This record gives sequence, C-alpha cells and structure tokens, in this order.
Amino acid sequence: MRLENPYLAEECVIKGSRRQTPDVYTYAISYPRGSRRLRTPFMPGQFIMISVLGIGEAPFSFSAWDDEKAIFETTIRTVGNVTSAIMRRGEGQRIWVRGPYGRGWPMEEARGKDILIVAGGIGMAPLRPVIEMVARNRRSYGGLEILYGAKTPEDLLFADEFDSWRSIPGAELLLTVDSVPRGTKWDHGVGVVTTLFDKIRTEPNDSIVMMCGPEIMMKFAVKGLLAMGFRPEDIYLSLERRMECGVAQCGHCQIGPKFVCKDGPVFPYSELRGLPDLLA
Amino acid sequence: MKFLSNGNLRGWLESLMGMGSLIAPVDLEPGLTLFSQVRDPGEVNLEYEITPIPPKDLFFPSSEALFRFSPSRGYEIPRIEGETFLLGVHPCDALGIRLMDFPFLSPPADPRYEERRRRTTIIGLGCVKARPECFCTSFGIGPLDPSNADAFLVPVPGGFLVEAKTGKGARALASAKLKEASIPIPKPPEVSAIDVEAVRKVALSLFDSPYWGRLADRCLSCKVCAYVCPSCYCFDIRDYPTRDGAERVRSWDSCQSPLFTRQASGYDPRQTKASRLRNRFYHKFSYFPDEFGAFGCTGCGRCVRYCPVNIDIRETLSAILRGEARIA
Repeated sequence: MRLENPYLAEECVIKGSRRQTPDVYTYAISYPRGSRRLRTPFMPGQFIMISVLGIGEAPFSFSAWDDEKAIFETTIRTVGNVTSAIMRRGEGQRIWVRGPYGRGWPMEEARGKDILIVAGGIGMAPLRPVIEMVARNRRSYGGLEILYGAKTPEDLLFADEFDSWRSIPGAELLLTVDSVPRGTKWDHGVGVVTTLFDKIRTEPNDSIVMMCGPEIMMKFAVKGLLAMGFRPEDIYLSLERRMECGVAQCGHCQIGPKFVCKDGPVFPYSELRGLPDLLA
Repeated sequence: MKFLSNGNLRGWLESLMGMGSLIAPVDLEPGLTLFSQVRDPGEVNLEYEITPIPPKDLFFPSSEALFRFSPSRGYEIPRIEGETFLLGVHPCDALGIRLMDFPFLSPPADPRYEERRRRTTIIGLGCVKARPECFCTSFGIGPLDPSNADAFLVPVPGGFLVEAKTGKGARALASAKLKEASIPIPKPPEVSAIDVEAVRKVALSLFDSPYWGRLADRCLSCKVCAYVCPSCYCFDIRDYPTRDGAERVRSWDSCQSPLFTRQASGYDPRQTKASRLRNRFYHKFSYFPDEFGAFGCTGCGRCVRYCPVNIDIRETLSAILRGEARIA
C-alpha cells in the first residue's frame, strides 16, 4: 500500500486581491472541488499551507470560505519571501495549497453561548469566519461582542465590513488603536485592547472568548479576562508559530509537548498554562 | 542461538550484496568509520567503536528532494527502490531508529521514511567494549541487547553468535552458513546508567533555573549535537528553482539554530541560547516521553564526544539529580 504524500499541494488560482492596509491584502483563491490535497470544508480557525513553488511555503489562516463558489479568502501581511511572492502574483496566477490542518475555533462548544472576540492587528483574519458563521446561523449563538485593536486606524482590517458586523442582531463592535496620526478622524478608543475591557458586557458565565493577536497582547488580555471571572477553559487563543510541515514532524511549532499545527492553532488557555516559551 | 564463523562471514555478506545493497561500517580513512555502501565485503569493519553520524540518514537523509515540479510534467516524486541490508548497528543506534519511527510513522506517516524503513533489514551488532561516554543502559537497552534489530550478531572468539529476531532477519540470515552455537553469550561490558525517570520527575520544576543560562554561556550554537544525534529529527523545508520548475528539499534542522523559531514578522518565541539549549534537553527528557512514551535519547554519547565546548548531557542529568540545577 502506498501512502498518500502529505507534501503535495493542490494547484489553485488567485481570483483577485483587495488591499486592507498598507501591507495587508486579502486574496480570493479558487480551488478545485473534491481535491484530496485540499480537503473542504474548512473550520474557522484552521490553517492551510500556501506555496509559490520555487519560493517556498508558509502557514496561513483563511479569512472566508465559500464552498458553493469553491473560493476561499486568506488575509496576508507581506513580510517575508513567500508573502512577497504571493503579493507579486496577480489575478489568474497559480499558487499551491494543502490542508486544512489543526484545530479551529470551538464553534460547537460556543452554540447557545455568548461570544466575545478579542483581536489585535492581523489577528482579526482568522476570526472573520467566526463572525460570518455567527451572522449566518444567528439563532445558534448568543450575544456577539467584538473588541478589535490595531496600531493606527489604517491598520484595522475589514474596515469596510464594520457596519455590517454592527448590524448583526445583538452584536457590538468596540475599536481601539495605539495611536492616531494627526489629521485622521477617529471617534473610538486610543490605547491597547485591554483598555476596552471595562466596557465588556459579555458575562463570564456561559460564554466563550476567542482571541488572536500578538502574544504580548494575548498575555495581558488573558490576565484581564481571568481577573474578570472568565474561566481558563472558556478563553480560546489562536497561536502563530513557524511551521515547515503542518503534520507535527518538523519540530518548528512545538511548544513543550504541544504542536501548534496539530494540537492547535486554537487552544483553550487551560491547555497552555505553564507551557514553556509562550506568552512571555 | 547460532554461530557464524569469521571464515563464513565473507560469503554471507556477498550473498546479501546479491540481494540488495549492503550498508555497513566502513573505514573511510584511519579513525573515521561511517555507514557506507559496501563494494567489497573486506571493507566492512565490525570492530568499529562509533560512527560520527548514526545510520539515521539512511531513512531520513540529511537533505533530499521531496518532489520536483514543472508546469509541463506536474509533480515528480524521486523513487525509492531496491532492498537494503543495514549491518553492524549497535544497540543504541537500533534504538535510535525505533525512536525515529515515533514521529515519522505516526499518522500521517512520512511516505519516504516509511518506504525506506520497509525496504531495510537492520542487522544489529553487540558491543564488546564500551566507550567512556556510553550510557545506553539508562534507556532499557544494553551493549548486547538485540531489541530493535531484525537480526543480531554478538562478536565472540572466531566469529559471531547470531540470532534472527524477525521474519526479515531470518530471511537475511537464510544464506549464512551457520552452526549450532557452543559458546555462551559473553558478559556485556559495564555501562553505567543514569536514573532518567527520576530526572523526568523533577525536570519541569527546574525549567526556570539559572542553570540553563550558565550552561548555555559556552554553547556555540554549532548544532553538532543534533546532527550526530540518532534521535534528533527536526527538519526544514526549502524550495529551489530548477531549469523548468522547482524542487522542494527537506534538510536536517536543529532547535539550537537562532532561526529555528523566528517568524517572518521577526517575532521569536525562543530568543535566547539558554531557552534553545533547554528546549533540546526538555524535548528529549520530558516532551518526547510525554508524546510517545519513550525517552528521546539512546545514550550513545555522540553529543558528549563531539561537542566542541564539552557540554555533557550526562552532567546535566546528574546536576538535576544532585539538586545542583535547583532554582537559586
């Protein structure tokens, strides 16, 4: 019996891209249906390995997914070789995708509960499918409160969707930025995302927190939420680590005995407490 | 237990070479023995002490193309063919292959590793001498332990005691001219053991000890400890352009590299040399046992022998047991 080669990726096509911030683009990518190298559907919070052959491969979350049109979206900050190569590829060009991998957001556990989203910067990308899922299945979930912080107003992703998020029944969107450039109109908060915490209306009982952002932000946000009475097992964090394989072999994403690619990238805080080289 | 005389060794090795490729310890130059493809049975050195590189690269090459891709031909996966007899593997290195099986054969199994493993027969070789850096007995094996091999040879005066441990091993021995053994199994050389279970029990409480920083002060981050280790298996994957496409290459990597956890954004969860050195130790003596139920070390002592600044993993284990690595 020959084993399936886990490294072969499916050829996909870039259908378009939208500029989100000066260095972040959202790409729409069409995929062949029924592919074994790219298995659908994805669950919000899972990740995929995207490559430009000849340049390299890296892990990315997806920020939307539409199985009817066989298109998913991924929101990528241009910071390295692979992300720069993806950005240089225009509409109609090929990229290669395998996955999805890992454990996503606890959409089942969250049924019937209030959801509190805490996002920082590019960390909003893997949380956008959560907001869409709640909007599409509105009666399955309770309240939806979204706290979103970024460096400056122009670093906020999906700003053109904020109004539609606010119009989801029972939804609340609170924004904050670290600083506001002179001349920019801004009537929301200024300060790190935890400065929004005294406005949180979500009750710690019967709620699920979903959080993604820089680790330093998540460290202080977890601290604040625990102090407010949220339980460690109800606070879910999506972690980012360097990855080469996606299948718990290469060792790069290991945190103590956990692999971010296989056991995560989404973890309840109760599983992360005490792990080394984390939230430092 | 059977006996293979020195006089019948050559004939057996020739027959193995007729069945597939024979990989065995060969002296490449005085003092340098490596597992190499045997061209003539006379090259095989079954009295060797240690090879600087364990035979792990036979299953997990130091660098190999996972696939090639070109727009016209699509994916091409380099083929793995033929049968291999890996002869002369000491018990520590046979355990190393067993430990390598845990990450690479756990689902989804690595197809290249699995294919090579399936096509290879491991013929172990007992150690009649121990080296000063040996501590294999800490891990449930010993100098004459045949586990983890398909067949096993124990050197005795005039030849070898031989034993098949698996069907593969019996097949490899089928062509050997064997006699009933009249010599008893010799007494194994003394190898002192370290109580690694006791280390594992207390290790996590020492995670924040300044001991790791003191130890790392002299570490050169040269990664030789990982390259010579029979159980270190971390790897990196890189793309290289070819004339009409690209190839994706997997190479050995090490958590001792300052680049190992650095993300494209610049964020690095393991920034200090102390945290990297600590990670290697904890992976072997805490995380790997948590994940797979076995220690990620074979006691071969290569990292002790080849570390250019004499970082000795046995000293770390002892320091933990003696309480010297306690948090000050």
